[in-house]
Amino acid sequence: MRFDLKVALRYLLANRLQSALLIGGVAVAVTVFTFNAALINGLAEFQIDRVVGSSSHVTIEPAKLLPKVVPAPAGTERLVATQRALERREQIKQWRSVERVIETLPGVTGVSYNINGTGLVTRGQQTLPVSLKGVEPARLAAIAPIDRNLVAGEARLGLNDVLIGRKLADDLGIRIGQPIFVTSNQGRERTLTVRGLYSTGVDSLDARVAYVNIDTARVMFDLPEGLTEIEIKLADIYAARAVAKQLADTTGLEVTAWMDKNQRLREALEGQGSSGNIIKMFTLITIVVGVASALLLTTFRRRPEIGIMRSFGISQRFVLSVFMLQGALIGILGSLVGCFLGWGFSSLLVQAGRSSGRALPVDPSLGQYDVALLLAAAASIAAALWPARAASRIDPVEAISQ
Amino acid sequence: MNTPLLEVNDLRKVFVDRDFETPVLKGVNFTLQRSEMVAMLGPSGSGKSTLLSILGTLMRPTAGSFRMLGRELTSLKEAELSDFRNQQIGFIFQYHHLLPDFSALENVMFPHAGRLWRETQAGRERAAMLLERVGLSERMHYRATRLSGGQKQRVAIARALMNQPALVLADEPTGNLDRENADQAFALMTEIQRETGTTFLLSTHDRELAERCERRIYIQGGVVVDVPSAARVPLRVVPGDMVAVIDRTQTQATRDQRSIQANERSV
Ligand SMILES: Nc1ncnc2c1ncn2[C@@H]1O[C@H](COP(=O)(O)OP(=O)(O)O)[C@@H](O)[C@H]1O
Ligand SMILES: [Mg+2]
Repeated sequence: MRFDLKVALRYLLANRLQSALLIGGVAVAVTVFTFNAALINGLAEFQIDRVVGSSSHVTIEPAKLLPKVVPAPAGTERLVATQRALERREQIKQWRSVERVIETLPGVTGVSYNINGTGLVTRGQQTLPVSLKGVEPARLAAIAPIDRNLVAGEARLGLNDVLIGRKLADDLGIRIGQPIFVTSNQGRERTLTVRGLYSTGVDSLDARVAYVNIDTARVMFDLPEGLTEIEIKLADIYAARAVAKQLADTTGLEVTAWMDKNQRLREALEGQGSSGNIIKMFTLITIVVGVASALLLTTFRRRPEIGIMRSFGISQRFVLSVFMLQGALIGILGSLVGCFLGWGFSSLLVQAGRSSGRALPVDPSLGQYDVALLLAAAASIAAALWPARAASRIDPVEAISQ
Repeated sequence: MNTPLLEVNDLRKVFVDRDFETPVLKGVNFTLQRSEMVAMLGPSGSGKSTLLSILGTLMRPTAGSFRMLGRELTSLKEAELSDFRNQQIGFIFQYHHLLPDFSALENVMFPHAGRLWRETQAGRERAAMLLERVGLSERMHYRATRLSGGQKQRVAIARALMNQPALVLADEPTGNLDRENADQAFALMTEIQRETGTTFLLSTHDRELAERCERRIYIQGGVVVDVPSAARVPLRVVPGDMVAVIDRTQTQATRDQRSIQANERSV
């Protein structure tokens, strides 16, 4: 064994209570760190799951038609005011070729080819705006698991059928099998029968969307060939941006990943993330302050011993190393214990939540144990630097004559 | 060719505390030959410890120089000095200064293992041999704190010899021991000195022990009075021995006076 390591270990063992307290302190800080990570990341996962679970991961829409503008001469700026050409319907006409591109993409778990539009639902005196979503009946559950979220009726989409959210049904005071009168924004009217009610837990779906057969939508929105939207679901949701970029480059259409479509979710996640980071930072500061002050006391207590080592020609580097190693050992041991405690604590909470029927959004597998281990060990070593330098610079004559 | 082990040349030390200067060494000159056992006498506060610290490269002189083994040491850098100290100088202090968390054997090995950053079999064997030599082979694995005062000082003697130094500097090595232990420790040092040919320079208050050395030097008034062994001057008549004069403040002077009186009584 290296002799500096032996001396460091001997010093730690000579002062068992102090060492135990120090390791315990680092462990508590790392427990907070990892539990905090498991909670924040678990919560994020839960929120993402709720949003992303019933919406598309990558959405393809018609290209925005922008007027071509001659580039400004070098060194000048050119301001251009544009207005969207409202008289031209935005649609994806060449969707068959897009379909072929999508088929070559890896990791796609579902695709839905849609014709969407807005309309009004009338029942008696009640008139409510709705988003009509025209989908192929076979792909009804490709994006939102409408079939699994059905609370009444059946997931059937005949040409005159409609599936609506329970909330919308409540607002309209309607039940399964009853007809509703729908007017599209193209002025087409149709009477549809309510086949099923769903409840996804996502308000915008449950209160505002009505699913119809894509062929019904074609007629109601005057789109004999094109589509208005293609939705894609991926196995790895975090690949969405890369997939979106690839599709945008190959098709020239407007392609958006889920994280760029859900600004509010992103802001919420970022807010949670940064408050989590503040907590993590404080745990690291605690480690630095605790380890530094304890080791500084140790160097002070051991001044005469360090003086004697120096008088026997033991190098300053050796003394430095002895104290740095103490910091490193405390950091590594403390963070190992802390990782274990953090994992145990979050696992216990999950179990308790499960048995009480209220699942907690803590995910023990997302405790960032590797990061915690690395940062806590680095913090301890950094904290040891100051006391170790002080120790190595002790004047032997002064220390011995104390 | 017989170069001296140590040549000290007009060594001066002035302690500066804010604007307050204390000249302690005012031009020290003397020479140590190889294999000598030399006692350094002088009243308390006369600068014995200061001189030993400087010769042991633990402290830099204000002026002057000294050569050891033909090397000029005053111009070396700290790391070089540290290395030189490790190989050529052994210290014995008034207080044993053993590392309390290490065994007797580990304490003796420390200067060796600390230089190599690891323990070696050869180092362990030499440490064991030295402990046997100082009569502590049975206490080898005892914690330093579990030894008696005399035993601790004998471990310190063994430690000073670990790296086979050319010079052992002992600052009142028996000052903390009772008569019996002091005699024993002193006898041990004398024997080892003869066996190994290591040069010993030891400061002491103890005239009886000092007289057992081949040679004595006296430090007083910031300079050294060298008394060669051949001179055989009876101790009592060395002029000025009782009246060390040090330029200090009044309080320090009274303190020095008191210790001088104490010396007189012990004579
Ligand atoms: N670091 C220091 N700063 C100021 N004065 C000192 C310092 N070290 C020693 N002295 C003074 O130098 C003088 C000699 O001290 P020292 O060498 O310890 O004497 P001795 O060992 O002979 O008793 C004393 O008067 C002491 O007060
Ligand atoms: Mg002294």
